[in-house]
This record gives sequence, structure tokens and C-alpha cells, in this order.
Amino acid sequence: MGTASGIIKALNSGIKHLAVKRFTLRYPEQKLKFVGDGYQYDPTTGVGIAGYKGRHILFHDKCTGCQLCAIACEGVAEAIAMVKVNENWKHNKKAIMPQIDYGKCVFCGLCVDACPFYALYMTNDYELSSFTKEGLIYTPSQLQVKPQVQQDAEIQIDDRGASHG
Amino acid sequence: MSVIAPKFRLGYFIKALLDNIFWAVVLLTLAGIPAIMILLFYIDLPIIDGQILTPFLAFTWMTHPEMSVPLVKAFMQTDFFRIAAFPGFGFGALLAAGVIFVERKMLAKLQLRVGPFYCGKVEGILQLMSDGIKLLTKEIIIPAKADKPIFWVAPLLFVGTAAAFVSLIPVAPKTVVADIDVGLLAVFAIIGFFPIITVLSSWSANSKYPFIGGIRALHQMISFEIPLILSLLGVVILTGTLNLSEIVESQATYWWIAFLPIGAIVFFIAMLAELERIPFDLPEAESEIVAGWLTEFSGMMYGLVQLGSYLKLYAFAGLFVVLFLGGWQGPMVWPPFPEEIVTEGITMGPVTAQIPGLPLFSQEVLNGTLWFILKTAAVIFFILLPRGVFPRIRIDLLLHVGWYRLIGLSFVNIFIALGLLYAGVLGPEGIL
Amino acid sequence: MTTQLPPGLQLEKVDERIMTLNVGPQHPGSGHMRLIVQVDGDYIVACDPDPGYVHRGEEKMCEYRNYITNIPHLERPVIHDSCNILYPYCLAVEEILGLEVPERAKYVRVIASELNRCVYTMYWLAIYGIFLGHSTMFMWPMGDRELLIDLLEKITGARVTHAYFVPGGVRNDLPANFEDVCLRQVNYFEKRIKEYADIFYDNPILISRTENTGILSRQDAIRLGTTGSVLRASGVDFDIRKKEPYDVYENLDFQTNVLQSGDSYARSKIPWLDMFESCRIIRDALRKMPKSGSVRVKLKPNPKGGDVEVYRRVESGRGALGMHVISKSKPEPYRVKISVGSFRNLICIPYLLRGEKLGNMPAVYWSLNYWPVEADR
Repeated sequence: MGTASGIIKALNSGIKHLAVKRFTLRYPEQKLKFVGDGYQYDPTTGVGIAGYKGRHILFHDKCTGCQLCAIACEGVAEAIAMVKVNENWKHNKKAIMPQIDYGKCVFCGLCVDACPFYALYMTNDYELSSFTKEGLIYTPSQLQVKPQVQQDAEIQIDDRGASHG
Repeated sequence: MSVIAPKFRLGYFIKALLDNIFWAVVLLTLAGIPAIMILLFYIDLPIIDGQILTPFLAFTWMTHPEMSVPLVKAFMQTDFFRIAAFPGFGFGALLAAGVIFVERKMLAKLQLRVGPFYCGKVEGILQLMSDGIKLLTKEIIIPAKADKPIFWVAPLLFVGTAAAFVSLIPVAPKTVVADIDVGLLAVFAIIGFFPIITVLSSWSANSKYPFIGGIRALHQMISFEIPLILSLLGVVILTGTLNLSEIVESQATYWWIAFLPIGAIVFFIAMLAELERIPFDLPEAESEIVAGWLTEFSGMMYGLVQLGSYLKLYAFAGLFVVLFLGGWQGPMVWPPFPEEIVTEGITMGPVTAQIPGLPLFSQEVLNGTLWFILKTAAVIFFILLPRGVFPRIRIDLLLHVGWYRLIGLSFVNIFIALGLLYAGVLGPEGIL
Repeated sequence: MTTQLPPGLQLEKVDERIMTLNVGPQHPGSGHMRLIVQVDGDYIVACDPDPGYVHRGEEKMCEYRNYITNIPHLERPVIHDSCNILYPYCLAVEEILGLEVPERAKYVRVIASELNRCVYTMYWLAIYGIFLGHSTMFMWPMGDRELLIDLLEKITGARVTHAYFVPGGVRNDLPANFEDVCLRQVNYFEKRIKEYADIFYDNPILISRTENTGILSRQDAIRLGTTGSVLRASGVDFDIRKKEPYDVYENLDFQTNVLQSGDSYARSKIPWLDMFESCRIIRDALRKMPKSGSVRVKLKPNPKGGDVEVYRRVESGRGALGMHVISKSKPEPYRVKISVGSFRNLICIPYLLRGEKLGNMPAVYWSLNYWPVEADR
């Protein structure tokens, strides 16, 4: 009799879940909301600020071309190359800034930890796909742009189960 | 530099379309029209209202509603229509397509996900069509060492056998393709073909996993055929007939499931095993033997096997309804046909069309079909549900269940039926 | 003397009753590995596991990178359990560099590690479900795993490869309002995994299928050097979180689950029971955690250790996970040896599968809590 009651319990559980809310995140229509504006790092305390590790953002007015981010990336992904930029900054005499190849980047954020000048942060932008390999290489001027993201889906929990908004 | 997505150019697209249209027109004129003419030469043309129906007359009558309705009615009486469309293959395939859609959405709901969603705008209702097109356009790969004739023919045989099974199921009063006196025996005979086809196809593929899958399917189907057949004997004993339509008519007041619940349960479990559905999907157990006997099928060959298995599912569900749930029997809920359409015709704007031949189907047939579909849908729901709830069973447990439990239970069922018969409760001269 | 061919190249046995099946690497019932199964009818005569398809030389790679840049590639073997595979490395490197981890960081580590253990276990459970042909048990854990991945993503900023633990603490503090969200989602998660009982663990068909298959006795479990859930399912009460507590596990309130039968059913049930304990640990840690404070010791760039050898191990989702780090006064470690639970459990396969039925192969194989990529390292 244990077998029969077990089978009935399993069937009952299956039928009960027909009424539970669907949990799927319908991705292109809904996008998950992240904490903050992306991963940042405070070199004075040596502790990061929680946030999503997406595409980088580079502040040209703070970057000194010190190459610490490229050195930090050396053993990890070797995605960062320093390239010449056509800009004149007093603090960046060599006029070199990081260029990031997202075909190689593993989004560990160690380059952000390495930057002592608050110049390199990460953002919430993760939609980086491209038809070409060249399209994945982001030049300093592309990295400068603050991404436009519309992410507002959050996990909501109520009596009928959890769902994405 | 390679570009993954080639650039779309409207010119090429239109050129391709025009090319296709051109070739279609050329082929139709050069080959199609002569073929139709040759075909028409050999076909006996029906006589309607004392006139031989020529293609010319048929096309002329199509413009007159009062003439086209008898034409359609005459067509619906032909064997071809009965086999290919209404009670036969087309009806079964349509229901099977519905089953696939419902299975996907219901399973998705049970598993808290969405299921097909984008194809066809409304909840992915056209997903099956796109899957069919995908399967049609895929390459068919035949293993090099396969026994090619048998390997090619096996999916066709599978679908054909399933369609033969469908043709035996009565849908409504006098609406069945083959209304034969030994209907149930014919069902058993047709079921007996499936293991043979399975083992032939798996053996001819000349590969290890299909071979194991085929052997498993053979074991499973043969060992579950015995309880399947025995569980139906109770109904035969009580009704005294093998004709499926007569079995349905015998359930006008009460359904056999009320007296033979054990037989119904045994038949249901044996049916799941015959259909190779979870929890009895051992012949296709993917984590053990890849896809079992379907491993080497590709493209539309796989699609045909799937079509056949869903036709088989519909046919088994229909058989369950016919034998235990009273088939088409049910209260009359279909509204009667409005008489004034026949007498006064349909007025559309300035034109009034007199249509004498209506209705195409009688009220009983439509009502019976409705009840049959409703009951079949309920049975199919219970066939689909275990897929979301149970894991796969093991072969030794399966055979144990088949040979020890189910056969024993089906004998108990037969004794119950005999007891009811000899006690004079039921049967040809029963008190009920 | 005949030359010994490698396992895959051996000619078919002369005995025609025996059929050799190559289960994997291109097989839905294997991971990135191969089981060479010899069957006589439906019975498995011999089974020879053949791992190594995803060997990437993690240990050698460690010798060319400094202590910090080792972090992103060390978590690659088990991206679903990346916090736990970095845990012993961080503990060992902290010992080498002489770092004192802040109290709050220890609690944050425990929370992240327990969340990650659940994420791994859900993934494992999903595959166990689909190996047994239970498609709902594939979809449910994959969906409910999202609750915890969401939490981990809020903490660490990435969904699977977190690179969150560093020698000297963690990369960043918890976000604001994290405790409320965490409690809400963990409580709902616990409610969800309770519902697995009816449909999976108490399902009579599952029990009839997995009970008394692949029995590993207590003596054999110890003799073969198994670890983690396999060891606990065979009746050995061994959990490194209890026996050699690291960080703050000694302050936290939890228990180890031990089952005596040692069959596939017990092996599959232990990780599920452990998830309830993980939820308990997370709630307890959130309560006992210091409300503020630093979470990371500031490191010099390119830190060097002395001439020391350190071995640290933790309880990962698959059992004991140890890292032996040798430092020779250089920024790079001289040698890193990774001892993983998966590889130690893999050795049971030939013992457990001999004489079983072919249908039991996936059930027994995946119940060993084996992750092929981690075993190959």
C-alpha cells in the first residue's frame, strides 16, 4: 500500500504545481536588476563595492596610462592592451589607455582592483555580442561611454510561488 | 574576416522567389497537368443527380452552393476521405498534433517554465509546424553498415501500422473506417506488429545502442501485450462481441469502468508500456543507451517515428474510451441544425443561396465526436501526466511488474467479469 | 608477450557474449569522460572509467602566476562551486603570507561558500534527475538554483565564476539590505526543496530503482578513500566542517547527515539533506555576523611568502577539497597540489558497477557526486 500512496502523492504534487507561478525570466523582454552601477573598487581601503561585473567603463580624465590594469591582466586573460589615444591630458603624457578585448576577458575584475586612480570600473552592461572578432575589441573611446541599461526584473515571492516580476 | 550572418539583400530574395514560381509553373504545365489528365482517365467518375461528374461539371458546380453541397457529401462518403481525413488518419494526426502541443505546455507548466512561446505569436501554437519543417529540411543520414531497405522502410511501416490502428477506432455512430466484426482481434493483431517493426529497425541499423534499445522494446512490448489482451477480455465476456461499435453501444446506460476498474487500471499501465512513455521509456532511455532504437534515425525518418508514436497514443486513448468510458455516448449537447438554412437559404447581401444538401454531418455524429474527443482528452491527460512525475523504471522491475502483478490482476478482472456474467447481473441476459 | 594497447584501442573480446560500450565522451549519460562498459546481456561485467578529457594543467599553471592572478583560473574546474574551490587556496595562502582575516570576512565567506554549495548541489541534483529520466527533477532544481545564483550575483557581481575569495578576506562587502533579501530567498528555497520529497525522494519508483544498487560498505568506503557525501552515505560521520573547522564553522549551529545503507539512494539523499543544513548555516551566520567592519586585509602588490609548505582542506560540495601550496620566497607558488573529492570518489566506479544492470549505470555513476572537470583539474 505504501507504493500506491507514494504514487498518488507524487501525482498530487505534480498536479498541484500546475497552479504555481512560472519562474522563467523572459530574457529579451525582461532583464534582471543588479545591485548598484557595477563593480567598483576603493584603493584607499582596499575593498571593493558590490556590483555586477560587466563591461568596463574608463574615465579618461583620471587614467594616467600607468599600465597597472594591463599588468594585472597578464596572468589572467591578457585581454588588456595599452593603445595610443589622440588626446592631451596633463596626467597622461604618453597618451596610452587600456583597450579591452572582450573575446578574452573573463570578467574577474582584477584590473579594477589594480587601478589606483579610480579610472577603471565595471558596469551593468553584459550584452556584448558581435558578429566579428574585431567588434569585441573595445577601444578607449568606446569604453568611455556610459551604458544605457534598462534592467528592472526582480525575483518576487508570494503565496503562489516565486516569479520574475 | 568572416561574417557569420550573410547580408540580406531584397533583390536576391525576390529573385529566389521568382525562380521558384517559374519552376513551379513550368513543372505543373509539363508534368502536373498531363498527370492529372492521365489519372482522370482511369478514375470512375461518380454519378450525381443522374449526371456523370466530369471535372468540367465539378468546377461549374463549385460556384453553385446548391450543387456543390451534394458533391462534397458524395466525396465524404468515399473510402479515400474516410481513410485519409475524418475518422482516419487526418483526424488522428490532428489530435496527435494537439497532444504534442498540450504535452509541451502542460509539462512546462508543471515544471514552472514557459514552454514553446514565440512561434505563432500565441503561446507558441505553431511550434510543432516549425519543428516539422526543420525535420523535413534536415539531412537524412543512413549508417554505412545499415541494412538499407529495412532501415528505410521501418519508419514508414511504423506510421502505417499506427494509422491502421487509428482506422479501427469508432469516433461516432457509423463513423469508423473499418467497422469489422472482429475489431478487437484486429487491434491485437496490429499491436503485435509494433515490436516486430521496432526490432527490425533497430537490428538493421547495425549499431550497438539501437540494438540494445530494440531488444528492450521487444521484451517490454511482448511482456506487456499479454496483460493488455487479458485485461480486455473482461469487456468481451460481458458484451459478448468483438465489434468495437457494438461494445460502445452496450455502454449506453453505464460504463464498463464502473464494473471492471481493475481491468481499466491494468490496461492503462500496459498501455503506457506499449507506448514507451515515461515511466516505461526504457527503449529510449537516453542516459543509458543514447536514444535507444531511435538513435540512428535522422531528419524526417525520426519525425515519422514520432508521428507514428503519437498516432499510437491517440489510438490507445481512443481504445480506452471505447472499451471503458462509453465511447461516443453522452448527453446530447450539440445544438440542432437550424432548419431555415435548408428551406430558405443563406442571404448574404443581395445574393440568396439555396442549399438543399445540408447538414453535412448529422447531429448524432457531431455530438458523438465531441464526447469522444472530450473523453479522449481526459485519458490523454492522464497518459501525459506521469512524464512529469515519475522517473524511468528498470528493466527487471518492469518485467516483474508485467509478468507477476499485471497478469495476476488481469486474471482477477476476468474472474470478476465471469462472476458478474454467471450471477446474472450483467451480460446479454443480465438484470441491469 | 603481447603489447598492451591503451584502453580505447583494445580489440573486441573474442567472447562474443561480451559487448563493449563506450559510454562517453559523446553520450548523454556521461560527462566529459568515458566509461568503458562491458556488458553481458543486461549485466555489467566490467566498467573502466577513463577520465582526462578536460585536463587543463591547473597545477602547472599555478606555478607561473602570482598568488592573486591564480584566482580566476583556479575556479575554472568547478565553476558551479567556485567559492569552495578557492577556499582552501585562500586559507593556505593566508597561512603562507601570514594574513589575519577580519571577523566579518570570515562570516561573509561562510555565507558565500554555503550558497555556492547549494548551487552546486542543485546542479548535480538536476543532472541526477535527468539521468533517471525524471524531467521535472531536471527543471525544478535548475529553476530554484536561480534564487541562490541571484543572491551570489548580488554579493559577488558574477553569476558563476565569482573570483570572490582572495587571500586576506573577500573582494567586496555585502550590498545594502542584503540580509532581508537573503533570508527571504533562502527561506523560500528551503520550502521549495522540501517539495522535492513527494515527487522525487519519496517516489516509490525512484526508491525501487536506486535502493540496494551499488552498495558501498563502510569498510570499502574507508578503504577506497572516498569522501564527502559518498562517505557519509556509507555510515562514516566525517565532515571537515565539523572535524577540522575552518574560519567560523565552530561557532555555527549545524549537524552532519549520516545514512547507513551506502546505496545510490542514500548517496543521492545526503546532498539534499545537506542543503537544509546549508540553509541553517546561512541563517545562523547572518545572525551572528558582525554588522560592520573591514572584509579584506590590504595586500602589497606581488606578495611573497617564506619557505613554507601548507596544506588546507575544506568541505566542498563533493567532499574534502585540499590544496597543498609550497612557497619558496617568490611571488609565485613553487607547487600547488589540488586534491579533489571527485577524483577520489571516481575510484569506486569499477567496484560499484561490477555485476549491476546496465540501467543502474547512470544512477550509480552520478550518485558518486562526481564532477568530471574537477577530477581532471
